[in-house]
Amino acid sequence: MKGKILPPLTASVHVKPAGWRFGIRLWLPLFLFWLLLLPLVVLALPFLFVAAVIFGVRFWASIRGALALLSAFHGTSVEVERPSARVFINLH
Amino acid sequence: MNDNRRQILDMLATGKITAEEAERLIAALERGTGATAMSESDKVKYLRVLVDTNDPLDGPTKVNVRVPMQLLRAGVRLTGVIPASAREEVNAALRKEGIAFDINNVTPQNLEELIEQLRELTVDVDNENTKVRVFCE
Repeated sequence: MKGKILPPLTASVHVKPAGWRFGIRLWLPLFLFWLLLLPLVVLALPFLFVAAVIFGVRFWASIRGALALLSAFHGTSVEVERPSARVFINLH
Repeated sequence: MNDNRRQILDMLATGKITAEEAERLIAALERGTGATAMSESDKVKYLRVLVDTNDPLDGPTKVNVRVPMQLLRAGVRLTGVIPASAREEVNAALRKEGIAFDINNVTPQNLEELIEQLRELTVDVDNENTKVRVFCE
C-alpha cells in the first residue's frame, strides 16, 4: 500500500443473485470519474482557498490530506451475502 | 557478523562475561532483530469487520468489510489541518462527554503505536441472532 498517491482507479463488483449459476462481474473504471471530477475541483480551488484563509485552515495541507485520504481507499473490500444475493465490491 | 555480536564475543574472549551470559545476550540480540524484522513485514494492514446475523424476518446476512489501516492513518493526519480554535472546541466537547483526550497529542508516532496495539485487539459480540467480530490483520 505504501507509495499509493492516487485514489482508487478501478473497482470490481461481483453480484450473484440467488439461483443464478454465474454472477455478474463488473469492472468499473473509477479513473474516468476522477477525470470528470478534476475540472470541477480546479474550478473550485480558488473558492476553497478563500474559505481556507477565512477559516484559518492550512490550504495545501488540507488538499494533501484529502488526497491521502482518497488514496487510502486502495484495498477496501465489502462483501454482503444474503439469501437473495451476494455482492462483493473491491477497490483497486 | 554484526557489531553487537562481535562485541559480545570479544567480551567473552577477554573474560568479562561467562559463556552462559554471552549465550543469553546473543539470544536477546536475536530476539530483538527478529522483532524488528517482523514489525516491518507484519505491519497491521487492515481492519476487518465480520457481521453474521440471522434475522427471523429477513433471513441470514453475512457482511465482511476490510478497511485499510492507511485510511485511519490518513484520517489522523488530516486532524493536523484542523484550526487551533476548532481543536479547542473538539477537546472541550470531549471533556464535556467525560473523555479526557487531547487531539493535539495525536501524532503519526502515537498513531503507529496505537495501530500496533490494535494487532492484539479482537472485539467479539455474540448475540442471540447476531455475531460481530472486529480485528486487525
